[in-house]
Amino acid sequence: MSGKILLVEDNELNRDMLMRRLNRAGLDVITAGDGEQALELMRSAQPAVVLMDMNLPVMDGWTACRHAREDTLISHIPIIALTAHASDADRLSALEAGCDDYATKPVDFPGLLIKIEKVSESH
Amino acid sequence: MSLRRRLTLSLVTILILFSINVGTHFWGSFARNESMEAYRNSVTAAQLSTQVEQLLNDKRQTILVLDTIRDNTDDQLDEEELRQAREQLESIRLRIRELGVVSHDVTRLHFDRLQESSQLLLDQWLGFYDGYNSPSYQSDVNDPVPYLQTSEHLKELEQRQAFIAVQRANIIDRTIALTDRITVIGFIASIFLTATLGFFLVRYTNRSLKHLKRGTERIGSGDLSYRIDNIDDSGELGDLAAAFNEMSDKLRNAMYDVSKARDSADEANAAKSIFLANVSHELRTPLNAIIGYSEMLHDELSDERELDRAQFQQDLEKIIRSGRQLLNLINDILDLSKIETGKMMLHCETFQPGDLLEQACDAITPQLRERNNQLHSPDLSGLPTLYNDASKFRQVFTNLLSNACKFTENGHINVIAREPPEHPGWVEIAVQDTGIGMTEAQQKLVFEAFVQAESSTSANYGGTGLGLAICRDYCELMGGSIRVSSEPGAGSTFTVLLPSDPELTLEAA
Repeated sequence: MSGKILLVEDNELNRDMLMRRLNRAGLDVITAGDGEQALELMRSAQPAVVLMDMNLPVMDGWTACRHAREDTLISHIPIIALTAHASDADRLSALEAGCDDYATKPVDFPGLLIKIEKVSESH
Repeated sequence: MSLRRRLTLSLVTILILFSINVGTHFWGSFARNESMEAYRNSVTAAQLSTQVEQLLNDKRQTILVLDTIRDNTDDQLDEEELRQAREQLESIRLRIRELGVVSHDVTRLHFDRLQESSQLLLDQWLGFYDGYNSPSYQSDVNDPVPYLQTSEHLKELEQRQAFIAVQRANIIDRTIALTDRITVIGFIASIFLTATLGFFLVRYTNRSLKHLKRGTERIGSGDLSYRIDNIDDSGELGDLAAAFNEMSDKLRNAMYDVSKARDSADEANAAKSIFLANVSHELRTPLNAIIGYSEMLHDELSDERELDRAQFQQDLEKIIRSGRQLLNLINDILDLSKIETGKMMLHCETFQPGDLLEQACDAITPQLRERNNQLHSPDLSGLPTLYNDASKFRQVFTNLLSNACKFTENGHINVIAREPPEHPGWVEIAVQDTGIGMTEAQQKLVFEAFVQAESSTSANYGGTGLGLAICRDYCELMGGSIRVSSEPGAGSTFTVLLPSDPELTLEAA
């Protein structure tokens, strides 16, 4: 696939780890630490896919997703929710907020790559 | 008015009316009897008058005949005839006296006049008989004046008495009519009053009973806020209503207690579910790093490229750090569950709180540097020695200092310790920071074990929200207490008060 991946994650370790693994998989990655930064970067960098942690400072992932879906500039960008909340209700709430897919931490990395491939192709 | 009073009043009223009726009846018969006697006397007097008139007339005829005989013959009256004549005269006198007895006071004047004139007449006639046999006696019986006077007086008396008899008869009639009227009126009034009283008694009682019935139905159907307050009865029914109201109050309180207990049980359950979800979340975060880094390093090892050993070591350290974080979290959860189930034990020893506080302050130095905070802990040496659980003491203050550091950046953290004057031998230690502070609502929840910090806060500052719950439980276990005072933006102060010996508070309690 072409284009950048925007990784939104406030936990430093997890951000570093995921960015490096995505890089190793040959993907170009930019990162943000909170929901507001994420929205700014989506507008300015127009990434191909966004990986969004939901528990974020300043603006949480759910709010950021809703804003993204209302903004015509970026509403087309697919978002994969990435969260340690593992229940069905959490999954539903992420999808309702406008996420295209959902991955639970600890992340199954090969599975995540397939999800990224899938959402970028369908858009 | 009470039911008993109403009934008594009705009864008394009816009794009064009844006695008025009976009284009227007796008065009527008394008055009637009195008039009747007077009437009877009048009738007797009239009869007597007629008799007296008859007797006088007969006697006069006899005397006139005798006088004529005396004038024309020399016949003498013998002793027997004279005695009889005298007796007859005396009898007339007696009759007249009797007439005086039965005559009414009103006719006294007439009777006196009759007696006077009849006395004269009878004396004249007695004189006639006395002098009959004496040739020198000059008869005066031909003079009609005394007889006519007596006769006239008798007639007057008779008329008077007849008039009085009529009057008496009228009075009797009137008395009978009056007593009859009073009796009938009294009787009707009794019936009317009894009916009215009965009606109101039934109506008020019935109305109160209806209110009571409606009230009990409402209360029975679950409307416990309903009050039976429209009963205008201060007696038994009012008491009954008050008792119902009290019962409904108590029921409502009981229901409230039950629903509160249920709510708090529900809340506790919900909090436990949230806690479990949060535990799951918190476990997954370090696990994500551990698994992620491990897989990445595994991949790197199988790469053809040359290994960056320094980077590899750093990544391994991250795995170790995450593992430790995970361990801490699990230990916290286990500690809390031990406290919750009452299995946490105290291991008391004698120690200097100042020494342990200094150790805790030293241990926090790396975190202080990380967030550029200044720590001030003026003179911790003069504190009283404690006989308490030193390890829990250390854990409490490590936790409080670490929290203060976590929520403060480029600020100050103060540790102030003293022996409070109101509790000699105890220690009071305050950990102040100039960090983000808390709202009132947050302060209330800050020590709750199952209430996690707000999601955005935990996302910002990390932590599981278990530290302060453990601190509070430990302080209480050690016989002391912990409290917080804070203002949003102006920092927080956690103050711990501990006894020299946990047994002290047990004895005091």
